Amino acid sequence: MDSDPDTNGAPEPQLSEDELRLSYLSLEDSRHVPQGVRLERNGSLPADFYDAREDIKPDDVEASPPRMVTGGREGSSKGKIGLIEGLEMDGEAPPSPSSSGYAGERGSSGGSSGTVEAADGGERVLHDDWDKGKQRIDEDDTSASWRKRKKHFFVLSHSGKPIFSRYGDEHKLAGFSATLQAIISFVENGGDRIKFVRAGRHQVVFLVKGPIYLVCISCTEEPYEALRGQLELLYGQILVILTKSIDRCFVKNPKFDMAPLLGGTDAVFSSLIHSFGWNPATFLHAYTCLPLAYSTRQAAVAILQDVADSGVLFAILMCRHKVVSLVGAQKASLHPDDMLLLSNFILSTESFRTSEAFSPICLPHYNSMAFLYAYVHYLDVDTYLALLSTNSEGFYHLKECRIQIESVLVKSNVLCEVQKSILDGGLHVEDLPVDSSLRSGLPCPHPSQGRAGPSSMSDIGGPAGLWHFIYRSINLDQYVSSEFSSPLNSSRLHKRLYRAYQKLYVSMHDRQIGPHKTQFRRDENYVLLCWITQDFELYAAFDPLADKALAIKTCNRVCQWVRDLENEIFLFGGSPFSW
Amino acid sequence: MYFLGDYTERSMGLSSANIANEGIQFCIFDSRRGQHEGQELDKILFFYPSECPYSSQLSVIGLCEGIITFTRIFSPEAACEVIEAERHSHVFYEAEPDIWMIMVVEKSKYAESVWRSEALRGVLKEIHSLFVMFHGSLKTLIDKQPSGEFARTHLYYFFTDYLTDFTIGKKIQLPSFRECLKERGTVQMLTISRDMAIEIQSLVTVLGSPSGANTIYNSLILFQDLLVSTTLSPDDTANLFAYCVMRLSPHALSSSLSVNSWSYIRKSKSASNVSTVSAVCAALDGSHGTSHDASPGEQPRTVNVPRPLQRDKWSKGGDGFLVTDVWGVEVGTSLPRTPTLWLQQTHERTYLCVYQYKNLTIVLLIPVSSLINGEQGIALVKNQLLENVSQKIVNIEEKLSRGWGGENAYHVSGYRYLLLDGDRNISRASPPAKVTTLSKDSLLALNKLREEVDLEKKRTMLDNPEHEKDFEACIRAKNNAWVIAKISRGRELYMALEKASETLMFASDAVEKFSNRYCEGAFSLD
Repeated sequence: MDSDPDTNGAPEPQLSEDELRLSYLSLEDSRHVPQGVRLERNGSLPADFYDAREDIKPDDVEASPPRMVTGGREGSSKGKIGLIEGLEMDGEAPPSPSSSGYAGERGSSGGSSGTVEAADGGERVLHDDWDKGKQRIDEDDTSASWRKRKKHFFVLSHSGKPIFSRYGDEHKLAGFSATLQAIISFVENGGDRIKFVRAGRHQVVFLVKGPIYLVCISCTEEPYEALRGQLELLYGQILVILTKSIDRCFVKNPKFDMAPLLGGTDAVFSSLIHSFGWNPATFLHAYTCLPLAYSTRQAAVAILQDVADSGVLFAILMCRHKVVSLVGAQKASLHPDDMLLLSNFILSTESFRTSEAFSPICLPHYNSMAFLYAYVHYLDVDTYLALLSTNSEGFYHLKECRIQIESVLVKSNVLCEVQKSILDGGLHVEDLPVDSSLRSGLPCPHPSQGRAGPSSMSDIGGPAGLWHFIYRSINLDQYVSSEFSSPLNSSRLHKRLYRAYQKLYVSMHDRQIGPHKTQFRRDENYVLLCWITQDFELYAAFDPLADKALAIKTCNRVCQWVRDLENEIFLFGGSPFSW
Repeated sequence: MYFLGDYTERSMGLSSANIANEGIQFCIFDSRRGQHEGQELDKILFFYPSECPYSSQLSVIGLCEGIITFTRIFSPEAACEVIEAERHSHVFYEAEPDIWMIMVVEKSKYAESVWRSEALRGVLKEIHSLFVMFHGSLKTLIDKQPSGEFARTHLYYFFTDYLTDFTIGKKIQLPSFRECLKERGTVQMLTISRDMAIEIQSLVTVLGSPSGANTIYNSLILFQDLLVSTTLSPDDTANLFAYCVMRLSPHALSSSLSVNSWSYIRKSKSASNVSTVSAVCAALDGSHGTSHDASPGEQPRTVNVPRPLQRDKWSKGGDGFLVTDVWGVEVGTSLPRTPTLWLQQTHERTYLCVYQYKNLTIVLLIPVSSLINGEQGIALVKNQLLENVSQKIVNIEEKLSRGWGGENAYHVSGYRYLLLDGDRNISRASPPAKVTTLSKDSLLALNKLREEVDLEKKRTMLDNPEHEKDFEACIRAKNNAWVIAKISRGRELYMALEKASETLMFASDAVEKFSNRYCEGAFSLD
């Protein structure tokens, strides 16, 4: 949890650039826009902004230079500044702002989900498949459908200006936003800070971050601590895009309107909020790796290490939300939450998929005040490389690094192995060795290879009614989660299980007296077992009728199994992850 | 647009910190009243501490009404329950439609500021249900006198008297995590043999149908602070039982100045109460303003408000019946008037007659409507009772006393537990002295687990009140204690095991053994 750049020991991001970025954001003085960066026009930017644009024509003519994309929502006069610096592939014409591919533009043009609980209750198999971007823009606080939504998220400024709302148009919600502001400041004026309000199934959770207020209104039964954690991540995602320097704009002008600065990033926030329902990384504060043979991963680590030695702060190779390989410069550590926010930002921003891109990005736990610069490139449809540098001019260097990495990855067959792993999937509870003694000492095949069919002890799931598990390695900050299998075969059931895990996690990690050591819990849906030691945390879900003694035995087997497979499912020694 | 209108403006900048230096506020308001600007004070039916400036009182109500309105946008069917802030907790209880009771606790004023909000709400519920038992609903009182003075006066005395039970020194003690093995609003039963049960049943029968009366009288029998028998509904039983334990049982009479039957802390510090009680009484006896528009601190004066919770007002008469002058005296005589109360189930007003023989307390409820000649009739009933059943009572008391295991009768070695039957408002728990041997961390862990269960229970109630969800949680805490919660068919068991082995199976076995040996029959009334 180290946000102090000094203790990170990494090259300190240049303050002048940070200032520059901010001034760019606030559109007060655009003359500091770095050379080699061309700004696309935007309908609502002030005139002097375009004057400045004329001054910064690219001097590089060989390759298209990085380009600040300033996107405008089609058909909307609302000004916004995209934060992606896209770079065209050689020979291609620069796209117009409207083709920057922001998913937010797509989703914002109209609600594509028909039901009240569109993102929460939909039966979707693929997480990538959901409707990105803002939902039900036509709603506001007077609509019955809006009031009935299971989980609202709001971001507003301390003066009550709406910044983001998960549902409905922020502008129409100005009155509602003012109400939230009134509640927060009323309590604040009494020398206090409001944490939550509860009424029946509903919980209203408040988080104050300087001039930015975040509110969640939910009837999802998630505990306060979990919802608060989600608001923290939402705030982190804002910082990823704007850095904490945004606070200064509020110092200058308390009525500062921040919403335009986030324009076009609806998809990023919607995707993050969606992930609260399916991605355990959002409450485990750990990341997960794509299962790969040890040698394959080591090959990827080696090539990333080479570039890290050449001045790249972090080199991250990811497949969807799973890490293939990850390397940091000496002493630079990457917080799992930052990885989550970074991968969410990349995955939810369409333009990254269409071209290589160079984008300023802030890692809140690394240094919340300054931007890093991320070179992002998709190597195939699922796999992408992110190279982070403190150098705003590092585009060409990072591009070269990418070319080098890509050629090694192709040569060493890593990308094929990655695709194969996606097809094979991760750990299946059905594969849990019924007698672990048979396994120990033998070389372990890929988790999904040589599957011996469902266990004889139960027709569905794994042995002893085991349905699912998550194993979190405390030292590695990584977790591994088993694949879903029958009877957990709908996204509604997946989400319910994740929420049960989340509740269990909160219950185990009590701030005052936690963490507890063991917990057994049985309700009408599951038997849940949690076991926390110095080294790991295990969360396991069983059939609600599972036998207690057998379930305990099975948990021990799961731990042994994970340890047997750890070289394939975890990333070791990539870089020091200690904070 | 929504709310926070006038109040907000007016009270901006007011720190709630300077309102309550004791760390606690109670507020009762009627949101239907004082709708017009400038008349907001009319909403307030009660505020504690009464010295609190009106602006601060309005600030509390402003926030609460605002939040109530706000949460209704999303949760029209279930009312606001709690506002949790870093320094304060606001606990809500909508006692009657639009009549809200609020408890505001300032956490920093309490060394152990960890509690379940349900436990705090339990205090509010208890005050209200006892109030209704003696005075009828607040709505009735307000309807009777729309200015609200009648209701305010009753509330003032009732609340103040109630709070004396929670006061140590000058501070009101709240049920903290240390009381996580207790449940307010429940009845504790004495376990009796089958023979004994038959004998008591015959006593109840005689009590219920005295010769010459064509009505059946309800009764409640207690042995010490434990219930032996009741003919009332579970809710009425719980209310009357609570009152008996507070003011009527031999224990309450003999240590009337010191005993708070709920607080573990208080028993050891009883001496310090004397000053508080007399201080409160002195305050009450002093001259008070009569108008609510007077400055804060001045309370309405009244002579005709019975104060059933006033301490030290019950004593045992020569005939074995308990007497009090709290309800005033008969016109033209110096004879104390017999107390009355309202039964919730039948909406019936009854006389409260209490007979006590050693450890046995017999509460007889005579419907007011059944006696035409008031006090004379009561005297007749009393005489009959003495003639017909006094020997029975002596015998029963003797047998129960002989078989009574003492203070630790329900201690189970190795276990610290609470058993709850919510449907019947019955609980049984480890003796308080034994619970205090648990470490702070075990109590905190159990308190937290109970809070989780409270939420689950509430959701189940909202989703499907008919459906009883079974639930089990067994946690090994950092200090190696096991804390356990188990809900089965509406019954709840909470447990802390400190000297247990480390395996989950051991803890489960311990629960199983306990359940087999002690839970069967422990809940049964008959």
